[in-house]
Amino acid sequence: MRKVILLLLLLCFTAHTRGKLHSPPAKPGLTSCRSPEKETFTCWWKPGSDGGLPTTHALYYRKESSETVYECPDYHTAGENSCFFNKNDTSIWVNYNITVVATNALGRAFSDPVEIDVVYIVKPNPPEKVTVTVMEDKGWPFLRVSWEPPHKADTRSGWITLIYELRVKLEEEIDWEMHLAGQQKMFNIFSLRSGGKYLVEVRCKPDHGFWSEWSSTSYIKVPDYFHREKSTWILITVFSTFTFLILMWLLHMNRHNLKHCILPPVPGPKIKGFDKQLLKNGKSNQIFSALVVPDFPPATSSNYEDFQVEYLEVYVRREQELVLEESKDLHNSCLKSESSTSDCDSGRGSCDSHTLLMAKCREAKEGERQTDRECSPMRTEAQRRLKDWEEEALNYAHAGIVSLEMSSGRVKTWPSVFSPLPRYSSSPLDQQSSLQMAKQLSLSTSSYLTQPGHSTKEALGQSYWDLCLSSKQPHLLNPPTPVCRELQAHSDVNISSIGHKRAPAGPRSPALHTTEYVEVQRVDNKDTLLLQPVVQGCGRMGGCFQMPHGEVYSKVKGVDSDNVLLLQREGMGEDSCHKSCTVSTTQKPSGCIYTAVPVRDEMATMANGYVDTATMCTLHTC
Amino acid sequence: MPGNIRSVSFAWMVLVYLLFCSRRASVGAAPICANAQAGCHVLSLANLFDRVIQHSARTHSISNDLHSEFEQYFLPSKNHIGRVSRNCHTSSILTPNGKDNAQRMAREELTEVILKLLVAWRDPLWHFHQNMAHHHDFNNFSSNKALEMSDMVHELRKGVEKVAEKMQVLGIISNTVSSLASPEASLPSDSAEWRLMKDYNLLSCFRRDSNKVQNYLKILKCRIVPEHGC
Repeated sequence: MRKVILLLLLLCFTAHTRGKLHSPPAKPGLTSCRSPEKETFTCWWKPGSDGGLPTTHALYYRKESSETVYECPDYHTAGENSCFFNKNDTSIWVNYNITVVATNALGRAFSDPVEIDVVYIVKPNPPEKVTVTVMEDKGWPFLRVSWEPPHKADTRSGWITLIYELRVKLEEEIDWEMHLAGQQKMFNIFSLRSGGKYLVEVRCKPDHGFWSEWSSTSYIKVPDYFHREKSTWILITVFSTFTFLILMWLLHMNRHNLKHCILPPVPGPKIKGFDKQLLKNGKSNQIFSALVVPDFPPATSSNYEDFQVEYLEVYVRREQELVLEESKDLHNSCLKSESSTSDCDSGRGSCDSHTLLMAKCREAKEGERQTDRECSPMRTEAQRRLKDWEEEALNYAHAGIVSLEMSSGRVKTWPSVFSPLPRYSSSPLDQQSSLQMAKQLSLSTSSYLTQPGHSTKEALGQSYWDLCLSSKQPHLLNPPTPVCRELQAHSDVNISSIGHKRAPAGPRSPALHTTEYVEVQRVDNKDTLLLQPVVQGCGRMGGCFQMPHGEVYSKVKGVDSDNVLLLQREGMGEDSCHKSCTVSTTQKPSGCIYTAVPVRDEMATMANGYVDTATMCTLHTC
Repeated sequence: MPGNIRSVSFAWMVLVYLLFCSRRASVGAAPICANAQAGCHVLSLANLFDRVIQHSARTHSISNDLHSEFEQYFLPSKNHIGRVSRNCHTSSILTPNGKDNAQRMAREELTEVILKLLVAWRDPLWHFHQNMAHHHDFNNFSSNKALEMSDMVHELRKGVEKVAEKMQVLGIISNTVSSLASPEASLPSDSAEWRLMKDYNLLSCFRRDSNKVQNYLKILKCRIVPEHGC
């Protein structure tokens, strides 16, 4: 038993040592079939293991729609394990069924059949005679690549149509730049680096087939054209330098404008009569003296025309607030108003005069009522108005005080002050209204302006009240004059009485702020401060006399014994007297204004002065 | 209302008239002058050849696309290709199978062969397109391609006929080609063959035939007008 096993093992071993076991060959495989020009083609196969025995391979093919099997005509032309089909054996547009058979002593093996149509297996040879030249186009170089189709491919007869592709790269680069050239046999390459060495290759392909291999590399060196680039840079530099220089020159020419733009000049002081140089160089005394307006206060009492005009702001209270206090006593109100504290050092430099305000409001009210009335019953009217005015003054004064007490700020009173005035002013002035206004104004200002005698205007001692016209303008005294006179007398009395009443009052505080502007005409020989109502913006000229939009102006007639400044509504009174007597109420204010002009001029001939309420105020104990 | 109707109808009439005029104008520009009359824009033979060759190239490209699509989706295994019988209905038409054969063939013969092929494929392609349209497996893109293919073959045939006409006029070929004007006569007698083929077969057959047509046209062109791109 043991011997049998040993023998078998020996046999096996010897069989193994003798070599591989003989077996039929393994199945070969067709790797590819290719045609270079669509006229011939070659097939290659890969043999399998030969099974230890010499193996032969044979290729058999069968054409389409024919059962005849043919064997490969040429095994050698294309090399080993290949089969070459020449022109006679090649049929285009015919399916070939090709099989490779491996045969050895023990058996044969068939490869898988492969169907091919020669049209679809065309892979041409690479293009030939590739030439690359450097050419110039307007000073810039470019490469011209030209080639020829592979000599085997018959493109001339139209049998094959080839399309070409080339690739370019610099010697030191890795990536190729591909260019498809189509059917043309020439190509230009631009955008070259100066002094670079380029590699060029070309390949081709039939319209339905495979790409050929790349042709052999062609080398080309591009000449240096750096100097041309340099010249461009020089040009650019010069141009930019020129531009820069021009810009600088332009800036230099306009440096003043630029300076103004970037660093705007500090505006200098714009105070009239302010001397900058003096401020810079002068001593403090000089500066302060310079600050003081030279013509103010008026030194002489003779020529008021030289005086600068400043305006006394007189505020008239609103009607509504005044209505509340109709029954109060004027005297009390006046006292109260005077005693109440108020800030007369307001920014505006003017102090409120509540009595004045009230008077103005009342007058405005009256003015409204009188708009449609005629002026024939003037005397009675005037008298009535006077009484009304007295009441109103009382009311106003009281209301003013109340309002002052009530309101915390002055601002409240101002609008009220202004509102009635326009109405008043827009209506044609008539004697009564102006009279009343004048009276009120005088009253209020008198109440306000009362001082212990510091003001130069105070010491006049006049206690009369010339309402309509002053005696200085006799030509304007017309029929209305006696009426005015009478009224004047009345008013004088009233005023004086009022003034006296108020005399024992304590220090009057200019609690009431006035918002009316008064232009002091002059101080006459009787020490009367003549205030001229001034229209805002016109007063200086004296020629234009429009109704003040919200302000009423009066002329200081004098200061009574109690240091009460009596205001005289000279201009207004004249105006109103004249107009109301001679002109109907329907006449336009402009007409009235016009007639008042000569009056104005006449008055203007007098010395102009003004009441600086601020100074008055400061003098008075507030 | 009647005013509106009138205005609308008038507008329609104007539109129709304009369309008609434009159509007339476009039609007027289409025919190529056969007798090289003065003021008539004559296309050169080379130009005509280029056009038909481009047309045939386009046709072949579409057929190639459809064929590969077929192969990809419906015949995944390669073995299946071998089993399909390759009996194209146009195999009765004698076509040169090599360059030498094609070059040896006379121009008239070659032109005839081309026309025969094109005529033979008109109906099968139309039916193929119909089949594709009804077949749910195909997407619209393939169906459109089939239709385009069918139309192109039709156009190509017309183009080749024109080329033949031109060549006859120029005396390049004899007048024997004109007998193909009636395609029905030259069709294979067993016209029912193509119905037996399956779609894949049809496609592969047509792919080959379109390539033949293209190639023959190129050969003709380079033989007759070699100076342009040969």
